Amino acid sequence: MSALVAFERFEVARLLRSWKFLAITVGFPVVFYMLFLNDHSPGKVVDGTVTWRVYLMVSMCSFGALVAALNAGGSRLSTERSSGWARQLRVTPIPAWSYVATKVTASMVVILPVLVLVELVGMAFGGVSLGVASWFELTGLLWVSAIPFAILGVFVGFMVTAETAYPVVTALMFVLGYFGGLFNPVGHMSPSLQTAARILPSFHQASLGLAVLDHRGLGIEDALVLVAYAALLGLAVVWKHRVEESRGLA
Amino acid sequence: MVDLSETHRTDSGASPSARHAPSVVRARSEVVGGDPALRFDGVVRRYGDHVALDHLDLAVAQGETVALLGPNGAGKSTTISLLLGLLRPHAGSVEVLGTSPRQAVAQGRVGAMLQTGSGSGLPSGVRVGSALQLVRRLYRRPAPFDLTVERAGIGALLGRPTQRLSGGQAQQVRFAVAIAGDPELVFLDEPTAAMDVESRRSFWRMMRQFGEEGRTILFATHHLQEADQVADRVVVVNRGRVVANGPGATLKAAVATRQVCFVSRRPDEHLLDRLEGVTDVTVRGTGVTLDSLDADATIRALVRSNVEFSGLEVTGAGLEEAFVALTGCDAAPDQGRAP
Repeated sequence: MSALVAFERFEVARLLRSWKFLAITVGFPVVFYMLFLNDHSPGKVVDGTVTWRVYLMVSMCSFGALVAALNAGGSRLSTERSSGWARQLRVTPIPAWSYVATKVTASMVVILPVLVLVELVGMAFGGVSLGVASWFELTGLLWVSAIPFAILGVFVGFMVTAETAYPVVTALMFVLGYFGGLFNPVGHMSPSLQTAARILPSFHQASLGLAVLDHRGLGIEDALVLVAYAALLGLAVVWKHRVEESRGLA
Repeated sequence: MVDLSETHRTDSGASPSARHAPSVVRARSEVVGGDPALRFDGVVRRYGDHVALDHLDLAVAQGETVALLGPNGAGKSTTISLLLGLLRPHAGSVEVLGTSPRQAVAQGRVGAMLQTGSGSGLPSGVRVGSALQLVRRLYRRPAPFDLTVERAGIGALLGRPTQRLSGGQAQQVRFAVAIAGDPELVFLDEPTAAMDVESRRSFWRMMRQFGEEGRTILFATHHLQEADQVADRVVVVNRGRVVANGPGATLKAAVATRQVCFVSRRPDEHLLDRLEGVTDVTVRGTGVTLDSLDADATIRALVRSNVEFSGLEVTGAGLEEAFVALTGCDAAPDQGRAP
């Protein structure tokens, strides 16, 4: 057990020590929040009773989680698989599954401070004010619902090579962000784009947070879609890991 | 397979009439006393249609340092992957330290330095010291940190980011990683691939010391000199089979012991090939080179054969010729030599 804790701490420390990772993960959601805040008047109601300043804050929390997960997995993972480090770990006593598990949980660990940071920016620059309970509820919900993103990041890391990682990660970031309605209220999008948004996990993750703030309660549909995504991506990772293992690669 | 261990040497060595590949002797495990550190029994491993290991038999005793020598694609890396449980055999059995490879790895009794792909084989974004600390913590009973650092000679590299290591330095750090768990058995797959001559020399000195502590070491190489100078025993593999097995010196002595060279105006290859002791004939214009297992017999036969010749010369063949004789491959002609 202590071996796995050591491995987990090592992975988290590596992520937090990478200025490139931090710059992208923190920079994107914070800068986008500042940039898009005045696209609409911040106090305008855009979704139920939720104003643009709050909508954008929740969206950028989602986007931050997505960016963190894709960059924590993505190219970092594919690079260390091709460099032979992943294989080296396979010949240490830790079990084979711990590699994937550690990667997913390390992503989850770094996602939490990203959420808090975006919320602080929302408070300080967007003038968002919520009750203490709502802050906790929102943060907890957004964090747990980021699990599919963390698994997606690891899955991408298994699928791409070190060369294809950057374009794939960038494309996923913007497809899931833009079409998921994170940059613009979904209600303002065309009907066909609204339909597209409903397929994406990013939409449902943000929607889960917004529903709570709108006092709509827990979005059961959102939760089910996210669970389905987590399960499918989880199976895909396990399948890919098994295939590589049988070829002696993983 | 040629068994060249001392006890069987006479079987193959004293058959000067043997032509070409010396007579086939069934593989025997020559492990005497104690449990073997590892054992391969009739192992088959395929990649699609390609047969990487073709009924490979191999046994290594505890405390032995064995070189797995062979050209690229001979099956060396596949052998090591199977020993680590990274691959499973399609047929036959693999046993490591009396148990399955996976079990031996899970117990932390095995260390390995694998071939790397595109990178250093080390995690990026950390210093050498913290990468090594991590690896130690993955084992239940690791060697003391300072001891591992000393054994691998990486004291000066601990504060260095892993991305800023030369090829040779990265290999040294990877050796430290391989031995950090204080393993009984160490596998090294072409460990000196990225090293210059000087680093190689110190690497093998280090490794020999480690082996002298009673550990078992199996390393793959295509450097003949390395195999000869470092290992107690050399196992030559080619096309997924063991083609020779014995101490490097015996290997040299027993296979193509001599080269008989002379000049002949119209050399008849078929005739020369049938001379006693001859295993190979090379004709370049009027220059003839015969590889012979028994130079005296070959020369007597040459004289009797009435082939006209001049400038007769007899030289000892090196391990390189032995290797070529066994595998039919030139061993890494483009690679530098070990010290």
